[in-house]
Amino acid sequence: MKPYGLVIDDKACWGCKACEVACKQENNAPDGLKLIKVLEDGPKRVTGRLQFQFKVQACKHCAKPACVKACSFAAISKRADGIVVLESAKCTGCRSCLEACPYAAIVFDETKEVALKCNLCHHRVDQGLLPACADNICLGHGIHFGDPAEIRQKIAEKRKLRGGRGEIIPKAISYSRTAHP
Amino acid sequence: MPEFKYTNIERELSVYGYDSFIKSHCRMCHGGCGVIVYVKDGKVAKIAGDPECPINHGTLCSKGLASAQLAYHPDRLTYPVKRIGPKLSGKWERISWDEALDTIAERMLSYKQKFGAESIVLGYGTGRENEAVIYRFANLLGSPNVLTAGHFCYGPRIATSIITCGTNPIVDYENHPKCIMVWGNNLVISNPDCYKGEPFSAALDRGAKLIAVDPRLTRIAARADIWLPLRPGTDAALALGMLNVIVNEELYDKAFVAEQVYGWEPFRKRVNEYPLERVEQITWVPRKKIQAAARLFAATKPAAIQWGVAIEQQINCADNDRLLIHLMGITGNIDVPGGQVLCEPPRIRNVGYFGAHRMLPDIQREKRLGGERFRLAGNFAIINPKCVWDAILEEKPYPVKMLFFISSNPVMTRANAREVYRALEKVEFMAVSDFFLTPTAELADIVLPAATWLEMDYIGDFWKRHGYILPRRKAVQIGECRSDHAMLNDLAHRVGQGEHWWDHFEQALDWILEPLAITWQEFKNMDYIRGSLLKQKYATKGFSTPSRKFELYSSVLERMGYDPLPQFREPPESPYSTPELYQDYPYILITGRRLPGFFHSENRQVPWLRELHHDPIVEIHPETAKKQGIREGDWVVIESKRGKIRQRAKFFSGMDPRIVSAEHAWWFPEKKDPGHGWDESNINILTDNAYDTCDPAMGATNVRTLLCRIYAEERQS
Repeated sequence: MKPYGLVIDDKACWGCKACEVACKQENNAPDGLKLIKVLEDGPKRVTGRLQFQFKVQACKHCAKPACVKACSFAAISKRADGIVVLESAKCTGCRSCLEACPYAAIVFDETKEVALKCNLCHHRVDQGLLPACADNICLGHGIHFGDPAEIRQKIAEKRKLRGGRGEIIPKAISYSRTAHP
Repeated sequence: MPEFKYTNIERELSVYGYDSFIKSHCRMCHGGCGVIVYVKDGKVAKIAGDPECPINHGTLCSKGLASAQLAYHPDRLTYPVKRIGPKLSGKWERISWDEALDTIAERMLSYKQKFGAESIVLGYGTGRENEAVIYRFANLLGSPNVLTAGHFCYGPRIATSIITCGTNPIVDYENHPKCIMVWGNNLVISNPDCYKGEPFSAALDRGAKLIAVDPRLTRIAARADIWLPLRPGTDAALALGMLNVIVNEELYDKAFVAEQVYGWEPFRKRVNEYPLERVEQITWVPRKKIQAAARLFAATKPAAIQWGVAIEQQINCADNDRLLIHLMGITGNIDVPGGQVLCEPPRIRNVGYFGAHRMLPDIQREKRLGGERFRLAGNFAIINPKCVWDAILEEKPYPVKMLFFISSNPVMTRANAREVYRALEKVEFMAVSDFFLTPTAELADIVLPAATWLEMDYIGDFWKRHGYILPRRKAVQIGECRSDHAMLNDLAHRVGQGEHWWDHFEQALDWILEPLAITWQEFKNMDYIRGSLLKQKYATKGFSTPSRKFELYSSVLERMGYDPLPQFREPPESPYSTPELYQDYPYILITGRRLPGFFHSENRQVPWLRELHHDPIVEIHPETAKKQGIREGDWVVIESKRGKIRQRAKFFSGMDPRIVSAEHAWWFPEKKDPGHGWDESNINILTDNAYDTCDPAMGATNVRTLLCRIYAEERQS
């Protein structure tokens, strides 16, 4: 069986955050807690050019999830289809998984004292529905659900064709300092 | 592996047990996107994009997705109220629709009798697809005064494109532009007027070249092949510089120029007044970049310019718009596939006709506030806001006694907010129709509960220029909320306009559609209607201008006594126009960069949207912050000659260190006093609205470029 995964083409992300709200509409995480999160990366200078892009943070459903190992209460498990599920009902609130996750993709609900993360909308996937964020919400068409290897190949193909990959003239932010008469 | 497909409606219905779904047309911004609304137990349960809609192809923004949270918000007004204490007492009492509308009607008739219909000003904010009914009502009442955002938003694009080439040229994303120049626009975040961000993004996916004109490094600018980070407010000079390159390097479409344009020689002369050396000095953009951008834009066919509101909220408003139309025109991109098309809308009774502008008597039209000063605006039934505040506060040229704001929050969104506030405090009677008791509504006498898009039938995108109309279908009824259309239809009967209105507003929709020989009920069963798609109509018909040509030299502006050729004016406040002021206020403040989730002053109370952006943020270059001793996250004071406000500092190195970028329209619904913090972070405390700082033709207020100083809050003494 091919594994399921959520693969996000960060270079296609415009930072509109529709995925964050699509996730809220489906999973209704408590106010202030996000299971998918759009972060800013930059502006920063990379090889003389000023870069600015977004990075979308969500559970990566790792092949060898550190959170599964860290949880002493078996509240987190990896399913045969690759989806890593955190069951809040079994969570004791010890926060070991938050510390273990290398991607800061797990959040903590202080009111209920349980950890939360993206479960890849497994309740939808099991019914043949796409995860909320991957269900054609993204205007950049950059959120993909399916076999990660296949998706990565598809993204690589798309990137070859894609325009808008940054300045053809280096040193973009060289402002003219000449005075206006 | 099961077969997954996008937007699987049948499966959604069965898995979640929704009772039904309704296809509709979102209006969390100006309208535009096709949506699917799932309903359960009479309530909206889920909203998704409609993959069959040609505008958004199934994608949807944060606002659209959160619509139900707005509609069912606990603070939402769901019945009419009247104020029972003095203004700002915050004391409101529930009343019936009959009492509310009878009171408003009675006041209207009495002011009309005593002071003339011109003493009653109706208003809306940005376009919310209620403009046609509001203009119809005002015109039939005899008031020439409808106060909108039209003086500095979209109205200028309509007015300048009509006088230049007959109608607003729309980017033809459906036929794949090969080069897109995005000018002062962030359409993937903001609320663009016709097509939305998806078709633009798809054009890039197909390999289109990208040029970005923006003082800030947006993601669009970061992806651009060429980014032109101009000094704020110098768009006209930059465009003239690009035109200079295109004209002198003969990169223009020679056949088009030979056969279709009016005023080439004087235009060429004007363009030659802007050599790149001068343009570089004005704009701060290196000349080589301007040259490269002009060449790329002119040499790639088809090419298009994606524009927006930023260039209109400046003293150069009308000329900025005209210059970009000129760039589209002389490069041969007007009315060609993949360029900018002059769409033919479906043959319905259009917005202008429905607006009953011809039924306003000439004697009343002549009284339009500011009509003699801002003559291009006046010609398009648009007024400058300060004219209304002056008429209330000074009673000049005549007194304005009554305001009726429908979907408008001018306390937050019009320049010189303190003057706006004073005028609203003074005006004798004010009615408001809105979703919430906003800082503006708190100053009203009567507030009516407006319906959201989920609660109305309407012809979506009725006023747009992309050639589509799409049905907006009512999904639910919430409280006693009514659409602005149904409300005004009812009020019209109470002020004696009944013969020009309908028993039920649905009949108005039938009337609009009648030329197509369909009814609303029939249209409701369709996905959309599109007008004809003739290209290069001008080849046989000419342009709809006085000369029948594409007017580089505007005969209309000439007749009105304006410079018929475009020019650059230095912003009213700048390092060069006011060097002394610049000593004390040493940063260029730009305002109103767009944020996901908000639409001007809206949605600060919607949890899923406020969560995207909790506080008003001012972006400061790290070098500048260091110089001013500001740390990231500090609340800082932003001060102009006119006042000060507070926003939170965020470091942002994607702009010139001399620029500071603040946000607009911030109020705090969570503050329960009647002011709701309207003057704490409101950018318009800082902006100016003096007549001589406005665009001379359109009356656009210059809210985008001013001078400021900035310091950490604790330093305040």
